[in-house]
Amino acid sequence: MKRLLASAALLLALASSPVRAADGLTVLLDWFVNPDHAPLVVARDKGMFAAEGLAVELIAPADPSAPPRLVAAGQADVAVSYEPQLLLAVKEGLPILRFATLVETPLNTVMALDGGPVRTLADLKGRKVGYSVAGFEDAVLGSMLESVGLKLTDITLINVNFALTAALVSGEVDAVVGGFRNFEATELDLAGRKARTFYPEENGVPAYDELIYVAARAKIADPRLPRFVRAVETATAWMINHPDEAWEIVRKSDAKLDDELNRRAFFDTLPRFAKRPGALDVGRAERLAAFLAARGLIETAPPVADYAVATR
Amino acid sequence: MSPHLTAPPRGPDGVPRRKPTPSPRRPGGGAARPGSGGLRPLTSLLLVGGVVLAAWWALVAITAPPPFMLPGPDRVARVFVTRWAELASNAAVTGGEMAIGLALGVALGMATALLTGLLPWTVRLIQPLVVVVQALPVFAVAPVLVLWLGFGLASKVVMAALVIFFPVASALSDAIARADPGLLDLARLHHATTAQTFRHIRLPGAVPGLISGLRMAATLAPIGAIIGEWVGASSGLGLMMMHANARMQTDVMFAALTLVAAMALLLRLAVDLLTRRWAPWAPESGGSLL
Repeated sequence: MKRLLASAALLLALASSPVRAADGLTVLLDWFVNPDHAPLVVARDKGMFAAEGLAVELIAPADPSAPPRLVAAGQADVAVSYEPQLLLAVKEGLPILRFATLVETPLNTVMALDGGPVRTLADLKGRKVGYSVAGFEDAVLGSMLESVGLKLTDITLINVNFALTAALVSGEVDAVVGGFRNFEATELDLAGRKARTFYPEENGVPAYDELIYVAARAKIADPRLPRFVRAVETATAWMINHPDEAWEIVRKSDAKLDDELNRRAFFDTLPRFAKRPGALDVGRAERLAAFLAARGLIETAPPVADYAVATR
Repeated sequence: MSPHLTAPPRGPDGVPRRKPTPSPRRPGGGAARPGSGGLRPLTSLLLVGGVVLAAWWALVAITAPPPFMLPGPDRVARVFVTRWAELASNAAVTGGEMAIGLALGVALGMATALLTGLLPWTVRLIQPLVVVVQALPVFAVAPVLVLWLGFGLASKVVMAALVIFFPVASALSDAIARADPGLLDLARLHHATTAQTFRHIRLPGAVPGLISGLRMAATLAPIGAIIGEWVGASSGLGLMMMHANARMQTDVMFAALTLVAAMALLLRLAVDLLTRRWAPWAPESGGSLL
C-alpha cells in the first residue's frame, strides 16, 4: 500500500511538472517544402510549436489534391490546401473546415514571356495556354479573358502537369496559368527570361487566400488547433520583424531550399503571409464562393460556416 | 494467363504440327469448350461483371462510405448519363492513342525479335537495349518525351509503344530461340539453310509465343497512353481523371476507369479474335477471353 501511494505521488508529481511531453501533430503540406511554408518551418525550428507544447511533423505529398482527402479520412491532423480547392472539396462532400490562413493573397497568375507575342491578355486569342490541374484554373482564366472581351473557347488549354516554366520556355505554349508569382516568375528570371505577369485579382477574379489550413470537421474542436495557430502567428510576426534571420532558419532547414530561387521566393512571399492566421473574413469568403458558383464550378455558394471557421 | 506453360500441340510422334492444318478445329464448332464450363464467352463476361457490380453495391450499401472515398455504382452510372458526351469524346482520343501505340509497339517488337532470330549474333547487342527500355520507369521518362514530342498525339503514342514493345519483343524472340530441337536436327540433316530453318521451323513454331506477347501488350496499351496524358494533354481519359482527382470527383474518376477497363477488354478480345482466325491451332488454354 505504501509503495502504491508512493508511486501514485510520483505519477502526480510527473503529471504536474512543467516539462510535459509535447502533443504530436501531423501537417500535410500542399506541395514539396518551399518558402510558402516558411512560417511552419520557422515555428518548428525556432521553437514556437514547442512553446505551445506541440511536436509538429511536416509531410510533403506527391499530389496537391491529396492532403484534404487524407485529413478527411483521418490520416493526418492538418492539411495545407487552397481556398478555391476547399469549396470544390466541400461540394463533393468532404467533411473538412478551414480554420486558419497561411498565405492571404492569391499567388496564382497568368504568365507569358516578355518579348513574346502576348503583351496583353487580349493577345491570348487563338493561342495555347498551359496549366497544371489544380481544379479551377479554367474559372480563373475564363473570367480574366472575359475582362478583355474574350472567351475560354478562344484559346486552347493544355495540361502541362506542373512543368509550367519548361513548357513556356520551350515554346510549347504561349502562356501558362497557375504559375505562382513568388516562384515561377523568379524561376524564369534565373533561366535568363523575363516573365510578363497578369494577376487574377487585377483582372476580374475576387481576391482570396491562396494557402489555408484545413482540418476534419469532426476534429475542429481539437485543443491543439488554437495552439497551432498561435505558434504560426508568433512565427510570422517574428519573420516579419527579423527577415534575414528567418531566411537563415529556412535555408538551414533543408538543403534543397538553400539556393537563389528559394531565397528570392522567401522574401517575395514574406509580405503575403497571413498576419492574423486565425481570423476569418466572411465577406471575402462569400465573394469567392459567389465567383465559383457564377463560373459553374459549384451549384450554389454554401454558407461560409459550412466550410470555414475562425480560430480563437 | 501463361500459354508458355502449356506444351504446343503435338502430333502422335511428338513433333509439333507445322502448318495451320484446318482439321482439328474444336469439336462442336466452338460453342462449348473445355475450361469454359459450357458458358458462352459473353455470358461469362456478363456474369463476372454482374458479380463484381453486386459486391461493390453491397459494400457501399452496408458500409456507407462517403462518396469521395468510394462512390456507389449508381453514382458512377449517373456520371455516365450526365457526362456521356465528354466521356465519349475523351475515350475516343485515348482509344486512338492506344491503337496507334499498339500498332507501333507491336511492329517494333516484332521487328526486333525477327532481327535477333535471323541474326543470332545481334542478340548480345540488342538484348541490353530491350531490357533498358523495359526497365525505364515510364513515369520518369514521360515529362521529357512530352518536351521533345510536344503535347499532342505523338508523345502518347510513343509512350504506349514503349510499354507495349517489351512483351512482344521478348515473347517472340524467346519463342523463336526455343524452337523444337528435334525439328532443328531434322533440318540440319536435310542441309537446310538458316533462312529456310527460320522460315519453316522457327517462325511457325514461334506463333504461340507471339500471341501471348500480343495478349500482354493489349492489356498494357492503356497504361502508356494514360501516363502520356497525365504529364501533358488537352484531351483524353487520363486528363479527365486528373481533373476529377483535383476536384475530388471520385465518381467521375471511376466512370473514366470503367471506360479504360472496357477498352482494354475490347483490345484483348480483338487480339483473341485475330489469333483465332490466324492461328486456330495455337494453344489458348487460360489465355483467351473467348
